[in-house]
Amino acid sequence: MTSSSAAARKALSKIASNRLQKELVEWQVNPPAGFKHKVTDNLQRWVIEVTGAPGTLYANETYQLQVDFPEHYPMEAPQQVIFLHPAPLHPHIYSNGHICLDILYDSWSPAMTVSSICISILSMLSSSTVKQRPEDNDRYVKNCRNGRSPKETRWWFHDDKV
Amino acid sequence: MQNEEQALEDGKFEAVTSPVSAFDVWANFGDDNTMQEESVVQAEEGKKVPFVGDKEPLSTLAAEYESGSPILLEKIKVLDKQYSAIRRTRGDGNCFFRSFMFSYLEHILQCQDLAEVERIKMNVEECRKTLQKLGYPDLTFEDFFALFLEQLEDVIQGKETSLSHDELVFRSRDQSISDYVVMFFRFVTSGEIQKRSEFFEPFILGLTNSTVEQFCKSSVEPMGEESDHVHIIALSDALGIPIRVMYLDRSSCDTGGVSVNHHDFIPAAGDLPRTSCGSEASSPFITLLYRPGHYDILYPK
Repeated sequence: MTSSSAAARKALSKIASNRLQKELVEWQVNPPAGFKHKVTDNLQRWVIEVTGAPGTLYANETYQLQVDFPEHYPMEAPQQVIFLHPAPLHPHIYSNGHICLDILYDSWSPAMTVSSICISILSMLSSSTVKQRPEDNDRYVKNCRNGRSPKETRWWFHDDKV
Repeated sequence: MQNEEQALEDGKFEAVTSPVSAFDVWANFGDDNTMQEESVVQAEEGKKVPFVGDKEPLSTLAAEYESGSPILLEKIKVLDKQYSAIRRTRGDGNCFFRSFMFSYLEHILQCQDLAEVERIKMNVEECRKTLQKLGYPDLTFEDFFALFLEQLEDVIQGKETSLSHDELVFRSRDQSISDYVVMFFRFVTSGEIQKRSEFFEPFILGLTNSTVEQFCKSSVEPMGEESDHVHIIALSDALGIPIRVMYLDRSSCDTGGVSVNHHDFIPAAGDLPRTSCGSEASSPFITLLYRPGHYDILYPK
């Protein structure tokens, strides 16, 4: 286990817990189109069902997103945002569910929410013109077998056209 | 405009690199290249310089450049005539906001200028409305606003919760408070830039190739993103607080005689705070020392 995975198990701070409660209430009133939050009593791990937007390569397909929150959310980005198996075939999504999207890592800011992350991910899916894995998929996935979280990867972001 | 490429004096302050973008490969995933390792280095760096350091005599600045550039040493001598002390902040990309935070709260604590407290609170409410009009959900910024207002209340003396100067230093070093206040200023700055996007657009185009909104999302709102003149103008205008920046760099003027360039950021409009509780009227009560890539706090004599 890496130290970072250990950090993921640390309980939410009071301020993080309050913020997530508020995000959850807001989500219930005003959920982002195409997403369903599967209600559990675990505030620190959200599992969200995503449905591909009509008229895109992923129309009518559903996938599961898992979002884990760190102790100091939202000052820190979510511990991980990954697709559960099977992950959509997409040039920026690895077969282990890791997503190459800058806002999840370097460009995270506390001004973002779970809802805004979801909207960015759906927009990434919707703009895809080809269903395929990233070119370096096998190499990357092999490297993650020790359970490394995507946050520990030093990402070089793909172009933002897709 | 700040030149991020400029070499840093003595390598003391690390410039935060600009975000990587538009690469075809994300590459570099060897075990040696994890974020984890980077954060260990940052943590070690952090132990050396707290978020906000102790007040040090200006002579410590000269000592830093002992065998350095003669121009810089000359400029430090000039600074030494006007300023008595420096308070360093950590070079973590938040140093402008952190310096501003401490300097402002320390001013209120020492001057007990209650009229200024009332004035800034009105500006803070305007900033809140700005963010709402821009479509930010309250839940994204309200905790940060509340934490700043709490610090502001607590530096006012004569209450049970009043802070001593030592306690203010302590809080400024406590990440759970300090980072929240920094983030409050980032929200305020971002809101002001977007509210007056036609004013800021030309500055932003000079810095990056992005739209005003993209600039705010990538260079203002994320923690650790360095501040440029754009950020300073926006924060000063939004809160109505003048800021003086002294520039310690290698530039020299041809007219002979070394002088230290400075720039006063004077808010665009509205009621300005009274200048200071001490000395010189007419100069901003917040003075920052800029060295390429970094801001610290200066104390006038």
